[in-house]
Amino acid sequence: MKFNGYRRPDGRIGIRNHVIILPSVACSVEVGNAIAQKVKGVIAISHPHGCAELPFDAEQTLRTLAGVGKNPNVAAVLVVGLGCEVVDAPLVASKISESGKPVKSLVIQDVGGSPKTVREGVKIIKEMLAYASRLKKERVGLDSLILGVECGGSDACSGLSANPALGVTSDLFIEEGGTIILSETTESIGAEHILARRAVNKEVREKILEIVRRTEMRALNLGLDIGKANPAPGNYEGGITTLEEKSLGCVMKGGGGKVMEVLEYAEAPTKKGLVLMDTPGHDAESVTGLIAGGTQIIAFTTGRGNPMGSAVAPVIKIATNSFMYSRMKDNMDIDAGEIITGKRSIEEMGERIFKEVLKVANGKLTKNEILGHREFAINRLGPSF
Amino acid sequence: MVDRGAKQFVLCDPKDNVVTALSPMKMGSVIDLSNGKKVEVKEEIPFAHKIALRRIPKGGGVVKYGERIGRATRVIQPGELVHIHNVTGERGKGRKK
Repeated sequence: MKFNGYRRPDGRIGIRNHVIILPSVACSVEVGNAIAQKVKGVIAISHPHGCAELPFDAEQTLRTLAGVGKNPNVAAVLVVGLGCEVVDAPLVASKISESGKPVKSLVIQDVGGSPKTVREGVKIIKEMLAYASRLKKERVGLDSLILGVECGGSDACSGLSANPALGVTSDLFIEEGGTIILSETTESIGAEHILARRAVNKEVREKILEIVRRTEMRALNLGLDIGKANPAPGNYEGGITTLEEKSLGCVMKGGGGKVMEVLEYAEAPTKKGLVLMDTPGHDAESVTGLIAGGTQIIAFTTGRGNPMGSAVAPVIKIATNSFMYSRMKDNMDIDAGEIITGKRSIEEMGERIFKEVLKVANGKLTKNEILGHREFAINRLGPSF
Repeated sequence: MVDRGAKQFVLCDPKDNVVTALSPMKMGSVIDLSNGKKVEVKEEIPFAHKIALRRIPKGGGVVKYGERIGRATRVIQPGELVHIHNVTGERGKGRKK
């Protein structure tokens, strides 16, 4: 099975052709926004991180920003920094340049203030947009695609309709040579034995159990109940009773394949097939980790109705029940509630989602792309100092 | 899904002691399982919420998808709503007062 994508200098395939402005630190976000207001068609990313972070957080922020810049949906990148921050803008840019794509950095303190940096930035972005517009798509196989599978605002239908259907999609996708990333470690607690049983080897099996144990221990060491944060109030209202129940529904999204590899947050896979990434259940943080790992497209199931998109990847929204689908049609791409009402089987819905993934890979815009949803959130491990 | 009686409910796995309502269920309606077993619904059940098929003792496991999803915090009778008022999860529970 083939689709049309943009081949980047590093050989990876983009399904979108974005030019982005990436702030290395919270202090340079507004300069990025000001540049984006003066040029049409550029995405300015916003985040509150990049400074006063301890080394483990600084490293994760750097890895995430560099990974998003390297994402093959991105044609060119302008990194904007302040100059005195922990996460250095020229360093972010040099990591991104490993991919061979055009990347530049501007440091506000070196350029001489924000108005001058905006003027410089507009010049650079104009050139980058012209460059991106000249790129052509080529016909490529599904083995060049990474599909991230995500759920957010789950209800008790998630594990009965949309998640098992997306699991069918994942299996079909892997059969075609593609890669699936299943994330949200918190939502594997209570279902980790199912994933561990399917590990390709002992090392992967132990890593699966390790990331789940480490997530659970974070709450236990604080003496706190994860259940106060996850499941969320809407999950309980939607009929989910415990974290274990939520997790058992959550892991279905990855299908039934062997787990080939376990990635740290924002790390790029080195294997094809089903891969896990250690991310929190927080949707925006999880999806940001996925795109930093090179995921070009996200399939996202939701029961309560989550309109979230992503900075550089299309997000296909799959409703778990038809009540919410008809209420929030403007945000939903697919109604998997048809499984609950008996209109379609899980297998039929899995094929329907698979076809939608192909269409979106070929350029069809998702609802959240049309609405301009560009959520972005980097996972933090510790406090700011 | 092994049993979905007239789209009213779904039994995910034969080992389960709960079913999930696929539409709101009224008190007095009957869960008619394909093995011939019948359970009368004891209270109003909201959409997508769980109903006990058997008596679950206090501390007993609640089983859905063939897996333990938590334990009963009090005795749950057949036909009763199974949710956060009578079930607790067992994972990630720090115990600081």
